[in-house]
Amino acid sequence: MELPAQVVSYLQDEFLAEARPFCFLIDENYHLVESWGHADWCGLTGIEPAADMRDAAPFLVGIPITAAQKFEFIETPGRAIVTVHVIPDNGQCYVVLLDASQEHASIQAKQQSVNELRLMHARQHKLIARQRNLISELVEAKSELDHHRREAERISANKSRFIAMMSHEFRTPLASIINYAELAADEGTSSNDIQKSIETISRSAKHLTSLVEVVLDDASLDAGQVELLEHDFDIVSLLNDMAAMMAPMAAEKGLSFATYIDQDVPKTIYADEVRLRQVLINLLGNAVKFTVEGGVKLMATYNDGRLVVTVSDTGPGISIEDQERVFQAFERGRGRAETGAGLGLTITLRLVELMHGEVSLDSMPGEGCTVSVHVPVMAAEDGPTAAVPVLPLPSDETIAAKPLSVLICDDDEDMVNLVEHYLHRSGYGLITSSDSSEAIAKTLKYDPDLVLMDCNVPGVGGIVAARVLREQGYSKPIVALTASKLSDEQKSAFTRFFRKPAPMQELLTEIKRLTH
Amino acid sequence: MTPLTSKVCVVGDFAVGKTSVVERFVTNQFSEKYLSTVGVKIDTKEIDFPALGLTHKLVIWDVAGSEEFGSREMAYLRGASGYIYVADGTRSATLKAVERLQDQISEAHGSVPCVLLVNKRDLRQDWEVSDERFDALATKYNDAYQTSAKTGDDVDQAITRLAELIIDNDMRGA
Repeated sequence: MELPAQVVSYLQDEFLAEARPFCFLIDENYHLVESWGHADWCGLTGIEPAADMRDAAPFLVGIPITAAQKFEFIETPGRAIVTVHVIPDNGQCYVVLLDASQEHASIQAKQQSVNELRLMHARQHKLIARQRNLISELVEAKSELDHHRREAERISANKSRFIAMMSHEFRTPLASIINYAELAADEGTSSNDIQKSIETISRSAKHLTSLVEVVLDDASLDAGQVELLEHDFDIVSLLNDMAAMMAPMAAEKGLSFATYIDQDVPKTIYADEVRLRQVLINLLGNAVKFTVEGGVKLMATYNDGRLVVTVSDTGPGISIEDQERVFQAFERGRGRAETGAGLGLTITLRLVELMHGEVSLDSMPGEGCTVSVHVPVMAAEDGPTAAVPVLPLPSDETIAAKPLSVLICDDDEDMVNLVEHYLHRSGYGLITSSDSSEAIAKTLKYDPDLVLMDCNVPGVGGIVAARVLREQGYSKPIVALTASKLSDEQKSAFTRFFRKPAPMQELLTEIKRLTH
Repeated sequence: MTPLTSKVCVVGDFAVGKTSVVERFVTNQFSEKYLSTVGVKIDTKEIDFPALGLTHKLVIWDVAGSEEFGSREMAYLRGASGYIYVADGTRSATLKAVERLQDQISEAHGSVPCVLLVNKRDLRQDWEVSDERFDALATKYNDAYQTSAKTGDDVDQAITRLAELIIDNDMRGA
């Protein structure tokens, strides 16, 4: 049904008033034929009969006029916003421009808001990404700082341990040297005792030298100054040398010593013989040193270009928490009061790493210890050797002890001998012990007049032993003679405290005073 | 000199600086204010090529920014002799928009001369387009420029190059 004529007429008037149409007719060459309406509002100028309308209305450039088309929201060079209708008619074409400024303004405002929001969003994303980058850089910087801090702490701890080690390990032989030198210089000392003193001084000096050598070795490794000197050598000979060197040491402690070289181990390999020997001496030396009963075993195998040397012992073993610590400089497993710089395993690990190898440790407290060294080595072409069988060399341990009035507990044999010498001359008898737990038992059993106690001794340790003795009712003097530095609280466990190297006359005077 | 008139369309994502590039080229001016374009702005500029004895009038259609064109925008492109693709060097996503638009245009109108402008070179500190990626784009588009509508860097060179490409294309067609 058609709209009433009055309504159509009304709407036409409304539309024409709002859209302000400007219409022109062009021929096939875009030349103006005729125009209707006002062109002023849409900024078209130069509209004259037969004019090329592409100059006045450049949006016609390139537009084919053979098909009806509509272009919305065109901003003319005169900055009017128009909707352009192209209406072909028998080779000519009507072009109608309608005012679209109001609708354009409304859409533009919305579009502007949307685009600004999108831009803000994009910037926000960028800022978040930058923030993330900054955070990750901060985390990285913090982690690097933490690493440097830990490294500094490690170096500081090493330094502290080094000083502690120097203080303790160097003081003991120094004490022997000083005291035996005084003894030798004493006019009343027999020639036999002078000879014995000189031997002890010499032994202590050698021990000091070996400590210095180990410390220097570690420092060289630390500074990266150690280079491997590789050459072809007889590995079987080296292993046999090791067995020949260690078996007597084990035998002295009543330990068995066994060697097994797998038949796949080549006779000659290309490696640093001196450094490999040093590694084996460290491992075998530790095994013999820490094993009290049972034995030590050295085993060598070769597979896929890797030499594996394993040293097993039936010693006290190492707890899981100590296993990492024992490879750190100046550290020993807890409860291990043996002497040494605490650098053997550190040097071993570093040397093996220098050889591009690894060290593995398998141990549990009370179940012995197995250390394996895996190193890549090239074999010479002389083929594998024959397997070498086990070589057991056992002997018995002996302990000397006699009931006397002063008990001395010290694991340093030279120190015991020195004190024994002076106390004998002063008319004292001695009970000796190298283990603090054993010293407790002997004190309670023989009730000596005085106990002379080193603090850093095997067993529960000198400080705990003194406290246990007090708790068990032992009321006579307990004198500390130690290279360790004690706190006031630790000193309170003792009647008197002497730090090695103590002047022997002063110590004897105090012992006499306390026992009379 | 012989006159030649060509329609060229400037296309790309929103806020990449299309209107600013055209304004710099036509009036040698720049405004910091962002005003989004709705529909199309039309401007013209003549370039003389004395060696060719030719004056090339470019009728430049600055088309509203979009990642992808609908039928209204595709209608604007009818009869275009060349395209100026514009991306924003500080928003690498706008390069993907250019690639999508180029695919649409190639599919509808075939191979037409074009240049690529990676705009906002003055904001190098926020640049997201690596030199390697730009080199790859330069290979793909033959004529790629790092431009700044703000400073005018390489804007004239890029559009003049498009005018040359259109002349070459017309000559080959003729």
